[in-house]
This record gives sequence, structure tokens and C-alpha cells, in this order.
Amino acid sequence: MPTPDPHGERHPLLAAQEGIWTGQQLDLDSPAYNTAEYVLIHGPVDEAAFERALRHTVAEVEALNVRFTTDERGQPWQLSAPGLDWQPHLADLTTAPDPRQAALDWMARDLARPVDLERGPVFGHALLRTAPAEYLWYHRVHHIALDGFGLSLVAQRVAQVYTALVEGVPPGESGFGTLESVRREEHAYRESDRFAKDRAYWTRRFADRPAVAALAEGQALPARDFLRHVTDLDAADTEALRSVARELSVSWSDVVLAVTAAYLHRSTGAPEIVLSLPAMGRLGSVSLRVPSMVRNILPLRVAVDEQDSLRDLAARVAGELRAGLPHQRYRYERLRRDLKLVGGRRRLSGPGVNIMPFEYDLRFAGHRSTVHNVSAGPVDDLAVNVYDRAEGAGLRIAVDANPQLYAESDLAAHQRGLLDLLREAVADPARVLGGQRSGTVLDGGPLPGPARPVLSLIADHAARRGGATAVEHDGRSITYAELFGAARHLARRLAARGAGPGTLVAVALPRGIDAITAILGVLLSGAAYCPLDPGAPESRTAALLTDADPALVLTHGAHAARFQDRAVLLLDAAPDAGDRAAAPATTGPDDPAYVIYTSGSTGRPKGVRISHGALATFVAGAAYRYGLDREDRVLQFAPLHFDASVEEIFLTLCTGATLVVRTDDMTESVPGLLAACDRLRISVLDLPTAYWHELAFAVSTGAAALPAGVRTVIIGGEAALPERVGRWRESVGSSVRLFNTYGPTEATVVATVADLHDPGLAPGDVPIGVPLPGMRAAVLGGELYLVGDALALGYRGERPQDEARFAPLGQLPGSPRGYRTGDLVRLGDDGQLRFVGRADDEFKISGHRVQPAEVETVLLTHPRVREAAAVGQVLPDGTRRLAAYVVPADPAPTAAQVREHLRAMLPAAIVPSAVEFLERLPRTGSGKIDRNALGTVGEAAGESAGDSVSSSAPETGSSLERAITAIWEQILGAEHIAPHDDVFDLGAQSLQAIQVANRLGVELAREVRVAWLFQHPTAAGLARHLEAREKAPTTTPPGLPEAVLADAVLDKDIAPAAPVAGTRNAPRRVLLTGATGFVGSHLLAELLATTDAEIVCPVRAASPAEAAERVHRALTDQQLALPADQRRVTALPADLAKPRLGLGEARFTELAETCDAILHNAATVSIMRDYASLRGANTESTRELLRMAVPRSVPVHLVSTLSTAPPRGRAPEVPEAFLPPHPGLVYGYQQSKWASERLLEQAAERGLPVTLHRLGRVVGAPDTGYVNEKDFLWSVLQSGIPAGILPDLFDAEVWTPVDYVARAVVRLSLTAPAPGTVFNHAPVPPVRLADLYDWVQEYGYGVKRLPLSRWRAELPRSADVAATTGAFFDSWTDSAEGGDTDLGLGRVRADNVLRGLEGTGISCPLADRALVFRYLDHCVKTGTLPAPATRGA
Amino acid sequence: MPEPLTPARFRADLAEFLHQQPDEVDLEENPLYAGLDSLRITTLAARWREAGAEVSFLELAERTSFAQWWELLSERQSGATHADA
Repeated sequence: MPTPDPHGERHPLLAAQEGIWTGQQLDLDSPAYNTAEYVLIHGPVDEAAFERALRHTVAEVEALNVRFTTDERGQPWQLSAPGLDWQPHLADLTTAPDPRQAALDWMARDLARPVDLERGPVFGHALLRTAPAEYLWYHRVHHIALDGFGLSLVAQRVAQVYTALVEGVPPGESGFGTLESVRREEHAYRESDRFAKDRAYWTRRFADRPAVAALAEGQALPARDFLRHVTDLDAADTEALRSVARELSVSWSDVVLAVTAAYLHRSTGAPEIVLSLPAMGRLGSVSLRVPSMVRNILPLRVAVDEQDSLRDLAARVAGELRAGLPHQRYRYERLRRDLKLVGGRRRLSGPGVNIMPFEYDLRFAGHRSTVHNVSAGPVDDLAVNVYDRAEGAGLRIAVDANPQLYAESDLAAHQRGLLDLLREAVADPARVLGGQRSGTVLDGGPLPGPARPVLSLIADHAARRGGATAVEHDGRSITYAELFGAARHLARRLAARGAGPGTLVAVALPRGIDAITAILGVLLSGAAYCPLDPGAPESRTAALLTDADPALVLTHGAHAARFQDRAVLLLDAAPDAGDRAAAPATTGPDDPAYVIYTSGSTGRPKGVRISHGALATFVAGAAYRYGLDREDRVLQFAPLHFDASVEEIFLTLCTGATLVVRTDDMTESVPGLLAACDRLRISVLDLPTAYWHELAFAVSTGAAALPAGVRTVIIGGEAALPERVGRWRESVGSSVRLFNTYGPTEATVVATVADLHDPGLAPGDVPIGVPLPGMRAAVLGGELYLVGDALALGYRGERPQDEARFAPLGQLPGSPRGYRTGDLVRLGDDGQLRFVGRADDEFKISGHRVQPAEVETVLLTHPRVREAAAVGQVLPDGTRRLAAYVVPADPAPTAAQVREHLRAMLPAAIVPSAVEFLERLPRTGSGKIDRNALGTVGEAAGESAGDSVSSSAPETGSSLERAITAIWEQILGAEHIAPHDDVFDLGAQSLQAIQVANRLGVELAREVRVAWLFQHPTAAGLARHLEAREKAPTTTPPGLPEAVLADAVLDKDIAPAAPVAGTRNAPRRVLLTGATGFVGSHLLAELLATTDAEIVCPVRAASPAEAAERVHRALTDQQLALPADQRRVTALPADLAKPRLGLGEARFTELAETCDAILHNAATVSIMRDYASLRGANTESTRELLRMAVPRSVPVHLVSTLSTAPPRGRAPEVPEAFLPPHPGLVYGYQQSKWASERLLEQAAERGLPVTLHRLGRVVGAPDTGYVNEKDFLWSVLQSGIPAGILPDLFDAEVWTPVDYVARAVVRLSLTAPAPGTVFNHAPVPPVRLADLYDWVQEYGYGVKRLPLSRWRAELPRSADVAATTGAFFDSWTDSAEGGDTDLGLGRVRADNVLRGLEGTGISCPLADRALVFRYLDHCVKTGTLPAPATRGA
Repeated sequence: MPEPLTPARFRADLAEFLHQQPDEVDLEENPLYAGLDSLRITTLAARWREAGAEVSFLELAERTSFAQWWELLSERQSGATHADA
């Protein structure tokens, strides 16, 4: 154990705290770790006594009086910080329309406030009066300080102390133990045998690192907030739960756990659920009496199968708990490290179930109260919190969800589902929980009429409307009567050759009237047909023939050669005499109608056998769904060996419409096809989606026009691109019906259909709809199963593995036969299905599951991406990567732009590491993207791309990768870490990741966020991420002007004459510059008050009298006391921009000989002026003052500004150190102050005792509420408030009141700190702009917030905005166009200030609502702001 | 009036929560290592309070053997008896 430091003030964190600290480092500005509850007190409260009780208790709770710091190694430490400034928020809300709601709103706002662990306080209190005799006491604590049990200890103590105070008796001892005792206990445990045993238990139990099922797709980093749905189980339901638990000999929490596991199983289909169980971690521990953070999380494995009842599951849960609970002290974080489940998207356990059995029966001076949780901390995924607090009342169930993963509606549905299941299970514990469930089965409804056999329907048309045109092709046409007659004729020839029921006839014919006739002929013979592509490679044809083994091949003489060893009937040969002998046979619904081959996953094509019944079912459902009628003219587009041809042929002929067979030349171009469709009066287009994508693009750009006669377009075969659907809808509108169809061959062409022409569809939403009539769809574990009469009979030949996809669905009533599609879908709120991807395509990278379709969908939302495919690849060296292949539009985007786009919309882990541009995507014969081809393309893909399209993804990151791996090697003590090594696989721990982020940030002199290391666990990935950010289009400021760099060099002759020896006496003469300014006048007053020195003030004036008058006026204006003794202030006329400060040689020398300290505070503050006009006053003055100081080594204290620091994007932290030049120094003012600091730095190096004080925004003293009207922010407020609009400027910034600044600067300067000390005066957390604007609003000004550019545009010309401020914004918004407009700084370190002021009684008040109100009062009083219409309380 | 807490009843209560036979309960066992959790201890405390032994969750949770529990319970039980007497 690291030893505490000698002062006993610094302590290592408890293991649980370290976990929280690490989590907070991932997102320092996240308020997610705020936990809070409120106590509703039913009775009057003595507010003063209550505040005393709070202060009394807070002082007793060690864990609350802390702040945190990190050492140079990045190790966190807890510092004791008693006496931190904090104020309870006391408010009377009884006049609000809904006081309870007003209180909850206030809490929500307070909860959203991030805590600054380095500064604290880590807690907050409010007492809100909501009725004459009703109060809400709100208590917020950062989770690093207290856990839920700790919070309850504090609450009990507050109630106790308050009651004692009201009753006038001593509150007695708290009984709290020390944090040190908890630390000692934890240390002892880590050294114990028990620890080793516990570790062995968990690592064995989780050795296989089980998959973690979750209800949401994907994963996200913890969000900054959470969604919550609360329900109270009534007393009866609660009692039923308890009594079932008794009956089952388990605890009621086991029942809740069992039902949660069952619910997750039912929703995901996962065979095993891993829950996260927060555990109090205090049994037998001293921490039972120490408010602290020690809670642990236990992973709980629960296997669930479909036959399990509550009885089974509850027993299983109880058993698992009995086995695991004895080992509950072993830390969850440690187990994750043991199992290498840190970083990336690795998970140890899933949704949480938090049982809170602690009874809270607090009495406040006799008044009853109830406790309500407001926040239990961050929610990774989903958490079920169960509170059992009030005797006799029911349980409260609060379900929390991560808003990045769940929509409100998802959460509501899950909560409902969970509670329904709980009630069902409790009502009948023997009932099977894995059984049926509602809501995941979609029913297409009944068929419009009986499913009549297709031959019978076509025969009817031939008989009744024999003269109607059935088929047209290339100028020829055939009527129904002719077609049917020819088919019957052929059927007899076939029958004579042995075709008949139970036989298969291969049809190898090109599209045309002959082919249609042949198909009907085969069916009429009683045989099934099997279409073969006459143009296929011979080997393919041979393979299909071997598998299909047809009785007969029907083809043309031209193709006969390849069927030499088969029985062949040549359609174009003269019939034999004997052909007429046999009569056609009849077929039943279970007889096969056709066999169509699809590519199998093993590469061996499989023949899908479709029955007459299935075909009839499909035809009846689809013809009705598409609304076809006999006037329609349907284009026959698909080759016959694709089942889309079945749709075209049979729907058309069964409807009695006309089938127009396309000629081969029609598809040469999209405009050509559409012109032909126009000529041929096509009304229904049935197209492969891939082809339609081209068509939609051409139509949207005006390159082709959709013929007026087309009223219906049916697409299918692959996922339709949202971008193309958008283009189509924009250019074609909703008058042409666009049906998006989905269906595997195994379900007879089409199983589900969506109306993409529905104007109600959200942009970008491309559903695949609902099942056709006669079909049902079930979604189990995200995968789509189809049920209905249109399912295939099965496969041709022996294919047991494939046949297994057809199986009874036990989850549905009656266990009907279902087909498992292998497609992942999502059911939307509108009841329509959405295609998510192929279950097989799922690719794993570093433990992350990636669904390429998810990536593709995002790629396609880029406006300059026409087509895209994402595939997982395994490179020759074994690394796995996700590659994106993009067909760009003109002009092509760069790979970096594409990646940036992906990064904005996808979790980092699934952003493809390679982006390659292709002229076209490889496609399979059926027009689908050929993923296999892409999967093996690898590097070659780039080369094969044409010269016109640049291949991208330059690998320039190798030196960066080396820098990253080098630091990891140091930290992990490992050798040879490769760029593609996942550091977490190498055993990296969270804390180490934080260390690496810090070091890397320093080394690269740029921001490296901890979260990025978790998101990019390989050096290659991180390097790519960093490079992409580097290249992101931000304003790249020019380097520092030569003039600035030249001025920043301190002359050689300015060096202290002699080293400083001994301690200094109190100064007798102090030189103070800038004494007439806002800060300067306060410095003067402070020097007068705390020293006996004479203060010499060089002031711009014509005469000594005028100079004295100006100093005098400055003090009066600021309501500061004038010196009792006039002789203490000597005002000298001067001009700091001039050599010798414009004092003249003699006066300058005299001051050099007499002054004991120099406080250089003067500066010209201007955000618009250029460097040249500021250098004299701001930079050269420092040089002159240093020159004055060196002969006697007089200390120089320079007041500077935090705006010399680089912005957050360039540095995660503002150190208390001198700053090297950086590109963030853009404005003249910053440059002049930076150069001034730089001069001071060199003086320090040469031994001059100097200090530097960087200030943030200095605001008026709280007691006067004075507002510095020259201040930039106030000038924004004063122009924006009257116009009712305020701009978004930054997240938060440091505010320090001027009186604090003066006290702190004088104190820290004159107490002889180490020479060269830099002080960042940021001792309190920054003020959030959002809070400030809220307060402005609450003050009574109606204001809305706008992005800066809009604010500038909407601000009335007449608005009284300071000219320079306005001009600044104009230049700023121009230069920041599309870039990062956040002027904010990284975390401002202020350790030197905090340490230096410790015990001095100088503390900085937090800027709060009350203070801002005082400032606004001041503005109203001085007329710089109008009085608000209604003044807030 | 619920029946008073006896060593046998105490043992039986523990056995029920530990899924053991009463004679299998090891009174020297640490409740933590026996696999109890805060909810189960809360429930036991409530049950024993009903039986007249005024003990809190915290008092049970901080003790490290079932024997210590019994010591506490019998103390509280007899205290109550005296008060009644």
C-alpha cells in the first residue's frame, strides 16, 4: 500500500472509488456519477436548524470533505479538504403552479451539473418548500464519495442531528468510523487467502467469458444522463411476490432476478443471461458505520431455456447467488482485468438489477418522511432498481436506460414487458416463461380468397378471355388461348417422354415466349420445372444437373450440346408422332411446382422445392397486395433462374394481365430501359433493387424520366439504400407505388412488403414492411422466422443441415413449421420490420460484433457516396479489420471525410479501418453485392480501382503508431507491442490507459482523451483516430508571427545582478501598474489593507496631480476605501508603452533603487487589436519592469490571463507552468500576454524571483454586485438580453470575483513562494454557460439561445453591442465556419493556488444564481439593462 | 403473540435461508461466507424482531459468525422478557 504523505492529508483511493474515478476520466464533463435522492418531509421544517444540521453532518462525514488530485504518474489521490465553501440551496416553491414539479425540475438541473473532483465540493444540498408544511430535502453526492448505503447513513444522521437541534438537546456522537479503517480493511483483504480464493472462484466461473446479451443493438459509452421509468407495485402485487418467494424458498429479489433473466432471454433468444448485481459489500465490515463508497458489482450467470418456469429459474438464481455471494468482496473491476474484458466493447455482464432493501423511516423532529431516489449513477445499458423502503407499502421499480441505446418508447415497452412477465410468473410459478410472447409475431392476415392453383387461374383466362394478350416479346405476342394451347401441346410431348408428377424437368431457355410456354407446359405435365441459365458456365450447369438430376431437359437446339448425356427435348425440333399420346396429369397442392437453385453458404448450390400450394398462396397474397389488374402490362425483367421471374410470370398470368418480356438490349442503359417501357406502355416494373438504385439515381438527376404509364414499381433482392429511396421520393413523389419486398427463395419469392411511397415514412427509414396475406413473421432473438403456406417443401437432395432451418416454432401457439431466415430484423413502433443484416455477416473485431449493414447504412447517408459495402477481412498477418468499399459520386469525397462522417454516427469500434474507392462494387449473378469477393480483395481492391478514382487510406501514421506503442511498452513493461495489438488483450488496465493518454498528450502536445484509448485499443486504430482528428476541417491558425517570437526573447543584459539571499522583509515600497483598472484598483486596496508599504502607481496622465486624481477616482468608482494616509499612494504620470515606462531615466533608476516588489497588472485588453498595437503596453512594459528589477533582484509578479493557454482541442489541461508557443495563440492580445509571460519565464530561469498569476473572467465583488462593463461577456449579455437572444459561446469558463482575485494575488505574491511559480486562479469549478443563461431567464428576461452565427445574424443592427465585440464575433464566426467554435479551455490545474491558500481563510465563492442576480440588479440600476418584465425570486 | 425465539428456531431459520438442514448449519460460519446478502439479513432481522428480539440489520451485518448473532438475539430477547415482566 502506498504510504500516505507526511501531512497525512493524501490517501490512495479505495478500489471502488478508483473504478468511479476511472469512469469519470473518460468524460470529465459528465455529470453521470452524480447520485441523488430526496426526502419528502411531511411537516414544517425549521430551515435555520436544518441548515445547521446539514453543516454539522457534512463536517462529520470524512468522505464528503475531500477533493482529488493526480500525481505525476497519473495516480489519483484523495485529499482531505475540510471547510470547502458550500451553500445549501433554500427555496420556497409554494407559489409555483406545481411546487413538486418545480422542485423536481430544479433537481434535474442540479443533477446535470458536472462535479469537478479536483476542486469539489463533491456534494450538494437543497431544502425546497413545496407546501406550507411540506419540504423536500435533496441530497446529491458524487458516487466517488458515497454509495447508496453511505447516502443512507448520512440521511439518518441529518435526521438525528436536526431533531436534536429542534429539541434543544445535544446531537451526540455520529458513531461514524474512519475512512482509514476502511482502507486498512481493504488492504488486509487484498493480502489475505480469502482474496486468492475469491479470485479463483470468479476467474473459474467466467473462464469462458460468456457472451453478454442485451436488449439494445450495439453498445455505447456511458451517457451523461439516463432515462428512467418508475412504477410502484401496489401492496397486493408486492405481497404476492413475497409470498411466491416464500413458497419457492427463495428471497423476493431472486424472483425479480429470475424474471429479469427470463425477460432478457425471451427478448434476445440468448441461452444464457449475465446480469450485473450491485452488492453493498459491507457484511462483517467496518464500513457498515462509515459513509463511504465501497459497493461492488457481482456478475450473475443465469442459463435460461424455453421450458423454464419461475420455479426453475428462481432456484437456479438462488443457487448461483449462494455460490457467488461468499466471494462478493472480489472487485468487479479487478475481475474484468483478470479476464481481459477491459476496453473496447468487451463486457463482463449485462443489464443491472439493483435491490435496495434498506428501510428508511426517518423522522425529522417527529415528522414522517419518505425517501425517493433521483439518480443511482450512470447506466451503461439498462438497470432495474428495486426499492423496498416503506413498511407495508409496495416495491418501487425504477428502470433506467442509457439514452444512447434506448429510446423513451423502448424503455417504456421493456418496463411494461418486464412487469407483465413478473405478474404472470408470480401468478403461476409453474408456468413456462420461455413460452409464447406477444408483439413479436406479425401476421399478414388471411388471403383475400382461397388460394387457387395457378394453372386453373390461367386456364380460366384462356377459356374466358382467350383473345387477350398474354405475353409479348420483341414484337411478337401470344394470346391466352394460344399460350395455353401451346403449353398443353408441349405438356403432352413431355408426358410422352416420361415427365409427370414427381419428376423434374430442367428448362434451359432464354427469356421469351417459348420459355413461358415451356414453364406452363412442364406444370401441365404434372412435373416440376427447374430453370437453368442457358448462358451459365458449363461447370456450373453440370453441378446443378448433378444435384437436380432432372428426368428431362427442355431447351433449344442451340444449347443442346451441353446436355449431351441427358434426356433432352428440343423445343424447336419437330414433334414426334408419339408425343401426342399421353394426357396431362393433375397435381395437388403438395406436389412441387418448381425447383430454383440458390447459392448455399458452403458454396454448393441448393435447390429450393416450392409446391403448387405455396405458389398459389404467394400468387393470391401478392397479387392482392400489389393491386394488379388485367389492364396491367408487367415487364418481365428477371432471368428465369431467379425466383423474381416466378413473381413476374405467375402474378401477371394469373391476373390475366400482359407480360412484356424485355429484350437483352433494353438494359444497356437506364434511359434506354425507361424509353422502352414508355414505348411498350409498361405499367408495372419489377426490378432487382440493385438495378433500381441506378434507375432511382438517373431519375433523380433528370438523366432519365419515369414513363407516365408506370404506376407500380416492385423492388427486391437486397436492402434498398435510404439515400436512393430519398431521391426517388423527392423526384417521383408518392403517386407511383413503390413496393419494397423481402423474401428468401424458401418462402416463395416474397414474404414481406412495405409501401415506400407512404408519405408518412420518416426520411431515411426503409422498412421491409409486414408479411403478405397468408404469411406470418416471428422475430426471435432479433432473427426473422417465417411461417405460412408459402414456405418451401424443402431442398432437393439430402441437405440435413439446410433442412434444419425448417423447424417447428415452439414459441408460437401450435408450434407451426417455420423457416429461419438468418436475417436480423428490427420491429419498429409502426409494426413494420426493418432489415438489420445477415446473422452470418456478423464480423468480430477485437471482441466487438460488427454488422456490416449497419455500417453501410451510415456510409450511404454521405451525400457523395453512391454505393457502399462494408466487409470484415482477415489480412495475411492475421489481423482482422473492417473495410469499407465506396463507389463515390462526383466529386469524390476523401477517405478522411468518409471516415469522419462514419465517426460522427457510429461507435468508434465499428468505424472501418480502411476506406477504399471502387468504380463499381463486385456483384453476384443476381446483382447482389459479392461480399465474398470483397472479403478477399484486401489490398488488391485499391489497385483494381480505375485511375480516375483515387485509391485512398494513405498509411502515414507509422511514426505516430510507434510513439503510441512506445508509451504502452513503458507502461505495461512489455516489449515489442505491434500496431495491431489490442493493448487490453495484453492486460492493460483502465488506470494505465489514463496514464498513457496523459503521457501521449504531453508527448504529442495535443489532446488525447482517455475515452479514445478505450475506443481504439490498438496503436494503429488510435493513430488513425488522432490523424483523422488532426485533418478534420478546423481553422488552422497560422504560426506565431516573427515579431511575437522576437519580442519573446529576454535581452541578455536583463539578468539579476546577484542571487537572492536570505528571507525578504515585508516590502516597504511596492510598484503597482494598472492601478486605475478594475482589477488594479482592488489590488491597490488590498496592498493598502494588508501591508504597510508605500504603493507607487504609474498612471497614464499629464501631471502628478492628474495621476493622483485618476487613482482616487478608480477607488471611489469601485466603492473601495481611500487610504487613510494620503502618503501611502504615490501616483506617477507614465506611459508603459514607452521606453523606461515613460518615466524618464532618473525616475526609473530611482524606482529601481527603492522598490521592494513589482506587481505588474497593467495591460491593454482588446480582443480586436493586432499584436503590433498591443506589444508596447503588454509586452515591452514587462521587459522594462524586469530591467528595473534585476539590479536588486526585486521580485516581479505578473498578472496575466488564462487566455494564453491553448484551447481544449489542443491541450486537455492548462498546467500551472509556463507555456511553449502553440497555434492557439491567434489574437493579438493573447500573443502579447504570452510573450510577456515568456519574458518572465526567462527572468525566472536567470534567477529572478518572479511569480505569474493567470486570471480567468474577473467578475464584480459579491457584496457590491459591480459589473465591469468593458468585459466581453457582459457586453454580449447587454446586447443580447434586450434582443431576447443569447449566443452559445462555450461550455463553461472560470469566474473569479475581483475581491477574491486581489486578496489571492497579493497573498500569493507576498508570501515568498518558490521563484517561478505559476498560479492559475481557477480555484472553483467553472461556471456553465447553460446555468448562466438559465439564471438570466429566471431573473425575468425572456431569452432564447442560438448558435453564435445565427445570434450575430439575428441581433438587430441597432443593438448596442460594443463595436469591438461585434467585430470580433464577425471575424470569429467567419474563421470558425464549420470548425470547432468552442473557445473553452481544458481542465485548468490550480494546485498551486489551492495549496497556497490553504489555511489562509481566502476562499473563492462559487458563482451562483444569487450572485448573477446581484450583477443583473447592478446592470438594471445603472441602466445598462432594462428592468425585466417580471423579476424572478 | 409469535412464538419466542429458541436455539432450534434460530437454527431452522438459518437453515431455510442457507438451503441446508438445521443440523448442517455451522454456527461458527461467517454469514458473508455462508452466502447471505443484505436483503436476506434484513428479512431475518425483521422475522426475529417479530419474535420479540429487537435487532437491526446493521447489528447483524457487522457480526462475523452466526454464534455472535445468537448471542445478540438471546440478549435482546431476555431484555424484552425482563421488560415485560
